Amino acid sequence: MQRPYQCLAAIGPTPRNPTSNFHLLAACGPRLLLLSLDEGGIVSEWSPADAVAEVPEDDEDGGGERPKKKQKTAAQAKPANIIKLTTSCNEQYVVAVTDDKCVRVFSLVDGKLREISQRCMPKRPCAIQVLPDNTTIICGDKFGDVYSLPLHPEPALEAGAEPSVATETTPEIKGKQAFKPSATNLTVHTQRNRKSLEAQMAQKAFSAKKEPLKFDRKVLLGHVSMLTDVAYAIRNVDGAERRYIITADRDEHIRISRGPPQSHIIEGYCLGHKEFVSKLCIVPGTDLLVSGGGESELYVWDWAAFTLKGTISLCDAALSMRVPGMNELSKLDSNGSVQDSISAKKDIAVSGLWVVPCQAQDDTKEAALLVAVERVPGLYVLPTSKLHVVDGKEPGLTLLNLDHPPIDVACIGDSFVVTLDAREEGQDRIRAFKMRHAPGPTQAGSMECTRDEELEEKLRCINTHAVTDSGAEAKALDDLLYGVANLRKRRGWVEPGKAGDDDPDGEAGAEDVAED
Amino acid sequence: MAGAPKKRQKRDESKQEEGQMPQKKFYRQRAHANPFSDHDLTYPASPAAMDWSQHYPAFATTTPSSIPTHDPRTTPPDPNNEIQVPQISQQVQIADIGCGFGGLLFALAPKMPSTLILGLEIRTSVTEFVQEKAKALRLQHASSGLYRNVSCIRANTMKFLPNFFVKGQLSKIFLCFPDPHFKARKHKARIVSGTLNSEYAFVLAAGGRVYTITDVEDLHLWIAKHFEGHASFERVGEEELEGDECVETMRRETEEGKKVERNGGRKFVVVFRRLEDPPCP
Repeated sequence: MQRPYQCLAAIGPTPRNPTSNFHLLAACGPRLLLLSLDEGGIVSEWSPADAVAEVPEDDEDGGGERPKKKQKTAAQAKPANIIKLTTSCNEQYVVAVTDDKCVRVFSLVDGKLREISQRCMPKRPCAIQVLPDNTTIICGDKFGDVYSLPLHPEPALEAGAEPSVATETTPEIKGKQAFKPSATNLTVHTQRNRKSLEAQMAQKAFSAKKEPLKFDRKVLLGHVSMLTDVAYAIRNVDGAERRYIITADRDEHIRISRGPPQSHIIEGYCLGHKEFVSKLCIVPGTDLLVSGGGESELYVWDWAAFTLKGTISLCDAALSMRVPGMNELSKLDSNGSVQDSISAKKDIAVSGLWVVPCQAQDDTKEAALLVAVERVPGLYVLPTSKLHVVDGKEPGLTLLNLDHPPIDVACIGDSFVVTLDAREEGQDRIRAFKMRHAPGPTQAGSMECTRDEELEEKLRCINTHAVTDSGAEAKALDDLLYGVANLRKRRGWVEPGKAGDDDPDGEAGAEDVAED
Repeated sequence: MAGAPKKRQKRDESKQEEGQMPQKKFYRQRAHANPFSDHDLTYPASPAAMDWSQHYPAFATTTPSSIPTHDPRTTPPDPNNEIQVPQISQQVQIADIGCGFGGLLFALAPKMPSTLILGLEIRTSVTEFVQEKAKALRLQHASSGLYRNVSCIRANTMKFLPNFFVKGQLSKIFLCFPDPHFKARKHKARIVSGTLNSEYAFVLAAGGRVYTITDVEDLHLWIAKHFEGHASFERVGEEELEGDECVETMRRETEEGKKVERNGGRKFVVVFRRLEDPPCP
């Protein structure tokens, strides 16, 4: 049994740094691998065990004890899987989020991964991005808040200094204060509550509250619902650059807010989804936003005008692609079955939206949108130029059949790399493809895909890389890779929902539960 | 809730004629409701998809309303414009969030008969009470045409406020005696928070006001702190408030306010004005 790679990120040469190599980052469980595509080998590997040795010096005196201990026990017990991976625009830093709510920043110095900081967020992050200024990270969490953190945390704060947390976190209690209930005799109206109040008055002192996390972070904006995705958009208006943060939540909202420092101003909403929104994708170079969620349709928005341009049905992927060289013949015959299973499926959950480069008929460079539906062994493809079509005729999607469900996609040069949920030994976990328009008249914008053999050769080492800690059980892997379907709300009965996060007593579903 | 079916039976039996006021005792429901749990709520996909003519039949029109249809924020997300939603001649301008049994609504309604007022309440029975009362009052005052501008909806405003109102639609928001949620870990459930204030700012027009009142001093300080800390709001001073009759109405006419007075408690009022948005940096 082998672990699939659950996250991918590509690092390439930048205009500023044209001589650097292409690198690929792949996360396998709790480990992070760095692969150099020029040398064709794994050049660096990071695992949480390394973190124990390298506790960063910028920890608090009081808090320094705790993270160390946590680290040791975590490494011995169950190392946290990496759930999100992203890079900074200048390709020098990597930010990873692990299952233990930690945001870890790595530097890529001399082609080696080195963890330079780790910060534990209050709630599990669901989306993370480094802003183009390469100094700030925005991070959205399941609770509904979007935070901004500096890429590099500040050195240890002075003892007793207040962290600049602009939210209502629980205030620090210096020493034990007398307990002062907020309610008084006048505000309490029923017998039972009055008795509770008397009991509280008799209580002597506070029990010590949890220490707040002492690092610089700011709440930029928040939803009351669970956040599912965050995107950062820049738009040119009259020559000036305007920045926006687009957030999607479980209650079908897509909100567009101004970027920091005015992120408390909501510009508008793109409303129309009938089920949860799980993924957002901004089409570069346009004002188009594609969103997918718990429905069989993708929504295409002009986000700057808050209007819906059209929807794309995933059930109607008319064409299916034959990829030469792949062992897909058996799939081709039952080709209809992949598509039928989608149409028959009532519960579609979009698990990924990516824009990848593709070649147009006249060899110019274009872009294509890739759509992954949870647990479906294929990727839907649509050229981004077709997203503008709004004459009622739906643009045709092409379905790229794959051996296994795709988990993540990254772009390297003109090709893109897909990581698959391949759990048997010997199966390829990572494949590389090149996308282009099919030759001939482009009626339905059919796409053609070829395997990038050259790139796959270089990725061979990742495909064969054995992972020593094979604690990967099927159920744990499923939970890690396939969480999107859980976002669906079950109407008709009261569910704990996200209040379950901060209501360990199960107070959620409270209409019948006594609350004191 | 075992109590509900029995009460509903009694409620139906006692109803004798149209126009008779509903009795609160048949509509009692527990004061607390969890705004996070997925109630079987219905809400429109967007403000333009909402059929307001059901709530304000006196204002229904057959011709397109004054709500401009080219405004993308009110156009239904339906590029082929297949669905036609009945329109009303003007938009709701005043919202009472957590209106309870409607004391404030029914006190304000006759004072501004040409302004549409909406009560939002999360508890089912209580919403029904207000709706029944509105119907009864309209019948009783059929000749003068009063109370046609007030209605109530069951809604979770913490999550779905933007589903009902477009940007800058409201001129007044009332938050009367909200649930204090004393425990620190329940603070996120409070009706006022830094992040939720952005939504209030979104649905309020510039110059609009948020009126708040509570008898819990701690909550009052919390509300004041969070609105003051939000760049889209500024506090309205005492002098300016003196001329505003809404403040007096809010103090005196809500059910909770009357209860507080009976018990000899204090009322803390604070009002904020929604400022213009600054230009983008």
